[in-house]
Amino acid sequence: MVGVALLPFLIVLPIMLTGNNEDGGFIGLFGAVVIRLTLPLIVLVLATSAFGNELEDRTLSLLTTRPVPRIAIVSAKLAATVVVAAPVAVVPAVVMVWLDPAATGGTIAIAAAGAAVCVLTYSSIFTWAGLITQRALAFAVVYVFIWEGLVTSFLEGLRYVSVRGYTFAILRGLDEEGFASLGEEVIELRAGLVGAAVATALFFAASVYRLRRMDVP
Amino acid sequence: MSNGYDAPIEVERVSKWYGSVVAVNDTTFQVRPGVTGLLGPNGAGKTTLLGMMCGLIAPSLGSVRVLGQAVRDNPALYRRVGVMREHDALYPFMTGREFVRMAARLQGLNDVEEAAERAISAANLLPAQDRPTGTYSRGMRQRIRMAAAVVHDPDVLLLDEPLNGTDPRQRVEFADYIGRLAAQGKTVLISSHILEEVEALADRILLVVSGKLAAAGNYHAIREQLDQRPFHVRIVASRLREMASALVGLDAVDSVSLDDKGIEVLTRDVAHLQREAPRLARDIGVRLYRIEPLDDSLESVFSYVVQQ
Repeated sequence: MVGVALLPFLIVLPIMLTGNNEDGGFIGLFGAVVIRLTLPLIVLVLATSAFGNELEDRTLSLLTTRPVPRIAIVSAKLAATVVVAAPVAVVPAVVMVWLDPAATGGTIAIAAAGAAVCVLTYSSIFTWAGLITQRALAFAVVYVFIWEGLVTSFLEGLRYVSVRGYTFAILRGLDEEGFASLGEEVIELRAGLVGAAVATALFFAASVYRLRRMDVP
Repeated sequence: MSNGYDAPIEVERVSKWYGSVVAVNDTTFQVRPGVTGLLGPNGAGKTTLLGMMCGLIAPSLGSVRVLGQAVRDNPALYRRVGVMREHDALYPFMTGREFVRMAARLQGLNDVEEAAERAISAANLLPAQDRPTGTYSRGMRQRIRMAAAVVHDPDVLLLDEPLNGTDPRQRVEFADYIGRLAAQGKTVLISSHILEEVEALADRILLVVSGKLAAAGNYHAIREQLDQRPFHVRIVASRLREMASALVGLDAVDSVSLDDKGIEVLTRDVAHLQREAPRLARDIGVRLYRIEPLDDSLESVFSYVVQQ
């Protein structure tokens, strides 16, 4: 996971060493590498195992046979995922944007906020996936790379059901000039904010419902 | 009872199926205070039944109530219920003490340290409490899980195969501990597939075979019924025909048959046969190689009870 987090730096390092960073372009790389690749990879690994590991080694009943409301269990799992994933995923995002000579303080702050929203939304979806299937990792990979990577590229309307679409909408909506180099058509800011909030809340609620109804091995 | 329920555990016409496989079939029983054994061969449906009583598995049909409340989706009930499941589930990086303290915290106890100390002491694990549970033997892991199950002093204790991996001394200690809980008026349900294990612990048993309740009641009455059943025993000796002829004369022997593996004897008194056969062989000058029970498995015992 650390290797994935360091991937953006491995990409920008040669550019920095050769002194070819004056033209910028790091914000474009931030979109292409961090938001499209490393951030979802980091979150999917952590979030799918939040419940997945405990279902696999059958330790989940150690929690579910205690007087702890299911909503508290899901909240704790989601919080743990975000707390671990956010620094690993957001810090490279911030550093990458900061390296761009065109970046302002506002651009950097928005990059951090957008990445954080992205982490939270992915975490909620993939935590739910870990509860409903033993193949949550495969589900998450398909969602990120097939659904968001391919399908939404061809069918623009599907960006309204894409975490990546929400993230780009938030970035561009809050700083259109700063994130102009993201190179992607985006949905409206309001749709991005509402979409991320609804997806997070919906999958959180679905996780609580699932934990209440499922047979715990 | 004055608590608003007939028995601490009430299982009412419960069935559970997975696809076309029926794990539990229309089972009804009650568990009263004291120690009750849930007995049955592997695959009989004990763990599924216990999982439903723990609220972890939803019945396909029927209802399960513990302390008068629906057990499913009722986390608050676990303040009065302790659960130890069959799977050897622990966090190996935690010490035994950390594991029990975590259980105490999840129970919302006021004095976590005192509760953990008491439970670990009862499990006789104080000397090993600061070691990671990943370094524990199987018996120690069972005991620390037991400590976590009782850390909140529950009124109802549900234990799935709790004696797996324990040595004879630990079994005696466990029996004493369970006996003390029963004396306090607690309701303890212990599942096991080992007849002798339950004999040492429970005064009442529920016998489950193929997902159905085959018998329920006083352990000794059921055991007596089991002891009266005919057993098949194989005897291997040097001169089979002579030995078979001699065996026919024994009171304990119902019938004798010969095959290429030896003599198959049907008896209702295995102990008597085991005493008499060597003497008989010596008297007629036959060398006795082996006396072995052919159907002493729990499955055959249960099958017999079901047929009755």
